[in-house]
Amino acid sequence: MKLLIENVSKHYGSGTWALRGFSLELRPGILGLLGPNGAGKTTLMSILATITRATDGKITWNDRDLATDPDALRNVLGYLPQDFGVYPNLNAVEFLEYLAAVKGLDAASSRRRIDELLNLVNLTDVRRRPLGGFSGGMKQRVGIAQALLNDPQLLIVDEPTAGLDPEERVRFRNLLSELSGERIVVLSTHIVSDVEATATDIALISKGALVAHASPEELLQQVEGKVWEWTIPSTELMAAKQKYLISSTTRRSDGVHTRVLTSQAPAAAVPVLPNLEDAYLFCLSNHRAGSAAA
Amino acid sequence: MNANALYQMVRADFLERIRRYSFLLTLAAALYLGFAVATEKVRIVLGNSYRGEYNSAWIGASMALCCSTWLSLVGFYVVKGSVQRDTDTRVGQILAATPMRKSFYTLAKTISNFAVLASMVMILMLAAVLMQLLHGEASSISVWELWAPLLLITLPAMAITAALAVLFETVPLLKSGLGNVAYFFAWTAGLAASIQLGTVEPTGLQIVFQSTRAVLSKIDASHKDAFSLTVGGERAVRTFVWNGVDWTAPLVLSRFMWIGVAVAIALVASLFFHRFDPAGESWEKNSAQPTSTEPILERAATPVSTPDTHLTPLLARRTQNRFLQLVISELHLMLKGQRWWWYAGAAGVWVGSLVAPDAGTREGFLLVAWIWPILLWSQMGAREARFATHSLIFSSERALHRQLPAVWTAGVMLALLTGAGVGFRLIMGGDLQGLIAWLTGALFVPSLALALGIWSGNSKAFEAIYTVWWYFGPLHHTPGFDFIGTTSASTNTTAYLLASATLLTAAYYGRRKKLGYA
Repeated sequence: MKLLIENVSKHYGSGTWALRGFSLELRPGILGLLGPNGAGKTTLMSILATITRATDGKITWNDRDLATDPDALRNVLGYLPQDFGVYPNLNAVEFLEYLAAVKGLDAASSRRRIDELLNLVNLTDVRRRPLGGFSGGMKQRVGIAQALLNDPQLLIVDEPTAGLDPEERVRFRNLLSELSGERIVVLSTHIVSDVEATATDIALISKGALVAHASPEELLQQVEGKVWEWTIPSTELMAAKQKYLISSTTRRSDGVHTRVLTSQAPAAAVPVLPNLEDAYLFCLSNHRAGSAAA
Repeated sequence: MNANALYQMVRADFLERIRRYSFLLTLAAALYLGFAVATEKVRIVLGNSYRGEYNSAWIGASMALCCSTWLSLVGFYVVKGSVQRDTDTRVGQILAATPMRKSFYTLAKTISNFAVLASMVMILMLAAVLMQLLHGEASSISVWELWAPLLLITLPAMAITAALAVLFETVPLLKSGLGNVAYFFAWTAGLAASIQLGTVEPTGLQIVFQSTRAVLSKIDASHKDAFSLTVGGERAVRTFVWNGVDWTAPLVLSRFMWIGVAVAIALVASLFFHRFDPAGESWEKNSAQPTSTEPILERAATPVSTPDTHLTPLLARRTQNRFLQLVISELHLMLKGQRWWWYAGAAGVWVGSLVAPDAGTREGFLLVAWIWPILLWSQMGAREARFATHSLIFSSERALHRQLPAVWTAGVMLALLTGAGVGFRLIMGGDLQGLIAWLTGALFVPSLALALGIWSGNSKAFEAIYTVWWYFGPLHHTPGFDFIGTTSASTNTTAYLLASATLLTAAYYGRRKKLGYA
């Protein structure tokens, strides 16, 4: 099972390149796609989901070209878009039955699947209520269920935890981890903790280009020995921000506890273990500095 | 809220509209109307087959009357939707959180609608100049005589249209497709009534009619008291010189009165405006929902911290013979949410056509049977865009070659089901020609709905065009427009079969265009 993205670019009419020469090879596991707003994550998701056609480049699913044979991928694709709607007059079961028919699933097996999925996303009790009365989080869970309808080999989820409460978010993370086994999951988000909890691989994307593709451990190694906690008076915070790359601050009674990313430790700073957010900021900062120098 | 706030609101709304491709279509429609008047496709013919000499006054009046009649119909459908757009883009929720008054909003929307319609009228003002040069019957151009009818007749009529569009968007029952259909019938009734109202009517037909009659009665004693605004009908064979309406102060004031009426309509609209309250917005949706509307709490279900992720593998998942299942799903989706009275009406028409004693009555039932599901057909092709489900559906396998034909087949089935009473009688009566015409109609209507839905992305285009088509074709037997085959003279089965095929091809390419990978 292999999804190969080769030199994919996407150009919009307005002169914007949402993606430029993007290449990546995906194997079973969860790929966390991280990047700032406007980095090109959603564009990449829509191209992989066969919604948008790439301007240049080639995407192959098990060596079958998406441009000539998109159904080869659609057949095994589960897609949860960032923004999607539902038919308000249908209830959750009817909506999923409809999408199962669109995906070409037979009625008998899809019925059992729908029951299991509604249980999985904790919507069994409200399965017969019209979707028009569902909250945003509940609609999102219907979206998750529809993405899993056809037992997909490639599962693409774009900002899947948006609108979910903390408990449902944890449930979804667990679900992703459980499901990942023999399938490729692409998880796009700007919530680093979601990736931290689930991803087996991480791709960092910025301005339509791939900044890094590595395992979480490899990314963390890059910032090892470069993360410090430094307590400073709040009056010095502005100056510190100008001098160092700061990943977080917490105000306490003894001053501002500042998490600093730097090779040269400030005086009185203590080393701390890096987390993925540190690694993410470090990589992006390096990429921006490199781009500016070029 | 002050004048600047009103200006900024109108400006933003106007700019948002004119930067859409659909605005270019609007201008193209205006240009076509100008062309139609210039080339006498649409013309005014008076009694004894008179028309005015093509001087500034006659051209200005012709253009103004065409605008105030046709543009008051087409323009309504063009501008209706601005409140819905604020709902869809969620800008409305931001506006609702400001001190904005409801009357201020509906007034701003009316002015913005009016600005769009006025821009179409401006194009026709320029077209009027070209038209006079083109005809060359009168060499001197009088700007006042040319443009006064457009300014004083058309613009007030456009103000009424603009305000009515806002009113129809705010009244819950008229906001949906029902309003689009109802407006057409209100428009035809209004036009008929305007003939009885003298000069106090918004289209201004009577103003021109009375002025031309006064001149003609002096020239030709035998002149018949007739006035027609015709599309492709009788051509005038005699001309006379008419120098325009005598715009007296009371007459001008009576025209300005319509702007006051438009403002009043806008204020009435504010009474119905839901101010983007989700409870108000969902009135129509909830009214169609089959179950209770009591709020569902986010935590309605018992939380489970660790999901049981066991999913039964899909063994018989593949797709070879699932088309019928999808058609049934599409038909179910189409019918879902219809109230009992819809089914009762459909059943009544069905039974009526079965027991109708003669062909005429049967034809009447078929007419009703094929306007009854208009709001269901109008969802075809546009549903995915309206409910933002396109990314879910278009990423499915064979979305183009299976889901699209399934939608069309469901539409045809709906036509066959609602018109089945007539079909049965035609079979029993051995009326082969009638049966072919009936089947052709059943193929044509969903094809039109699907093509218009896909290309326009909304249901409004089909609701407007089909209603007009149904009115002039099957109802009034206009040759070429009768897709049902109500009379052997008005029907053209081959043309409608070809049209259905063309529309299906257009629908296919329209959908193909929207799919990243077809």
